Amino acid sequence: MIEIDEKEILYLEKRALNIRGKILRLIKAGKVGHVGGAMSAVEILTALYFKIMKIDPKNPKWPCRDRLILSAGHKCLALYATLSERGFFDKSILDTHGEINSKLPGHPDMYKLPGIEASTGALGHGLSIAGGIAMGAKMDGVGINVYVVMGDGELNEGSNWEAAAAISHHKLDNIMVIVDKNKLQISGKTVDVMNYEPLCKKWEAFGWREREIDGHNMKEIIQNAEIVPFEVGKPSVIIANTIKSKGLKFAENKASYHYWKPTTEEIKVAENELEEMERRLEV
Amino acid sequence: MNQLKDPRKTFGEALIEVGEKYDNVVALSTDSCGGSGTVPFRERFPERFFEFGVMEQCAVGFASGLSLMGKIPFFVAIAPFVTARPFEMFRNDLGYMAQNVKVVGRCAGLAFSNLGPTHQSYDDVGIIRTIPGVTIVAPGDPIEIKKAVHKACEYRGPMYIRIGSPMMPILFDEGYDFEIGKGVIMSEGRDVTIIGSGTVLSKAYYATQILKRDGISVRLINVHTIKPIDEEIIIKAAKETGRIVTVEEHSVVGGLGSAVAEVVSKEYPVSIKMIGINDKFPSTGLYEELLGLYGLQKEQIAKTTKEFIKFGA
Repeated sequence: MIEIDEKEILYLEKRALNIRGKILRLIKAGKVGHVGGAMSAVEILTALYFKIMKIDPKNPKWPCRDRLILSAGHKCLALYATLSERGFFDKSILDTHGEINSKLPGHPDMYKLPGIEASTGALGHGLSIAGGIAMGAKMDGVGINVYVVMGDGELNEGSNWEAAAAISHHKLDNIMVIVDKNKLQISGKTVDVMNYEPLCKKWEAFGWREREIDGHNMKEIIQNAEIVPFEVGKPSVIIANTIKSKGLKFAENKASYHYWKPTTEEIKVAENELEEMERRLEV
Repeated sequence: MNQLKDPRKTFGEALIEVGEKYDNVVALSTDSCGGSGTVPFRERFPERFFEFGVMEQCAVGFASGLSLMGKIPFFVAIAPFVTARPFEMFRNDLGYMAQNVKVVGRCAGLAFSNLGPTHQSYDDVGIIRTIPGVTIVAPGDPIEIKKAVHKACEYRGPMYIRIGSPMMPILFDEGYDFEIGKGVIMSEGRDVTIIGSGTVLSKAYYATQILKRDGISVRLINVHTIKPIDEEIIIKAAKETGRIVTVEEHSVVGGLGSAVAEVVSKEYPVSIKMIGINDKFPSTGLYEELLGLYGLQKEQIAKTTKEFIKFGA
């Protein structure tokens, strides 16, 4: 297990806070956005892009880079914010969200921005695409890891389970799935809308090795996500327990903030909350 | 009578040829390699052959990912299961993502004549034609099948290749110049144009011979590439012959006939008679008899064409 000192954790938490600020900036510019699932995935993406993944923002097509597929494409505001924070593109682009022909559509387009590995949005596509990348990498003997960020609501889609079986069957142990389990989907609690519990056991039954963590605890994310695979010959999955809309107290754990069209006042409240979060972090 | 060849076996031979030529060609199977002609490829290149069981949606996504890693994936299975079933994956992961994947729908049309509409593919061209940037090729004979597979590897982008399963007569010679997007005039004429392609090109070809014997001047055009379609050759035919008959083993909704109508209606409207399946779920029976039920036998095509010239569509 890699040791991470508190200083580094604090550094990453500050990055995560900046990313939350950028998500808000995107929503402010576009006047609308999938806030809930973006905010819940912030620590996961921060850990991956700032600590775990082998990437080079100045050479986004570097053949030996690790890949991240955002299967839950609606979380893309978090990905845009993270890529910008990591230096893939200039932060001024964030203010074009919502403009005609923007490089930042409501679901990511791989041809519009550096660092986007696949055009996703329709749920249940990313895991198969990741499977093909992992398979191609194994064929070529390229030692890369493929990370897939999924939503727990997304796991309703049957195509994911085809992919889960195929990835395990083909022993693609260079894949790690991180499920951003915020426990809510559009119509309410995932267990009420479509119950997939026990989720860990389902992945295990498909031949994966799984771990369950706190998806907002930077140290836990890093100490688990750095181990690919958990067991040689098997794909790995982390069930990351998160809070939908994390960081915006008024919106936390509320399914209605899946997609948010804020008023000016609400934006102000949200900004204040992030400032408060910053103050807490500095103490 | 022209020599007959098995289209699926021919495809399998072509896949071996491109496999030898390009080391990044890979094949994906969904529990169907026996019927898809890909067993020889699996034996020759086991490390480049991937089995997915009956998981077509997943196979399309994997093909997209393999393409992202620089491979040229060929995904071949029964036509409705590589088009209608994984349509959204085809649309997003191959079309929208513009991946270099070659999807091959075999036993297309009414080939599974007795198995009914679940296995017949009468809508594959129609639905795939709605995806921007996907090239659709329906080879009309075994020579075209081989050439289409080779051209597919030279051309970068998503492609759908539609082949049947009944034995096909050889209509072209080995040296024939096959170019994606370019129609081929197989017979010159001025009274009427017949446009055919794919699995029933030979029927249109033999119908043309009957009509010529009966003194009718027929232009026969092979539109092997349904998308992007050769607009020039179609508009020229509309102008010079004044009427068009389209022949397809597919629904008349959305297929070759529709594609031709889209071209002539904007440039030079002429009357079109579409021969194909008339917006109904196809029936079942023996293959040749089923073709007859939809007017796709050579004598029927000839008769329909004569009536069209005489009375209009």
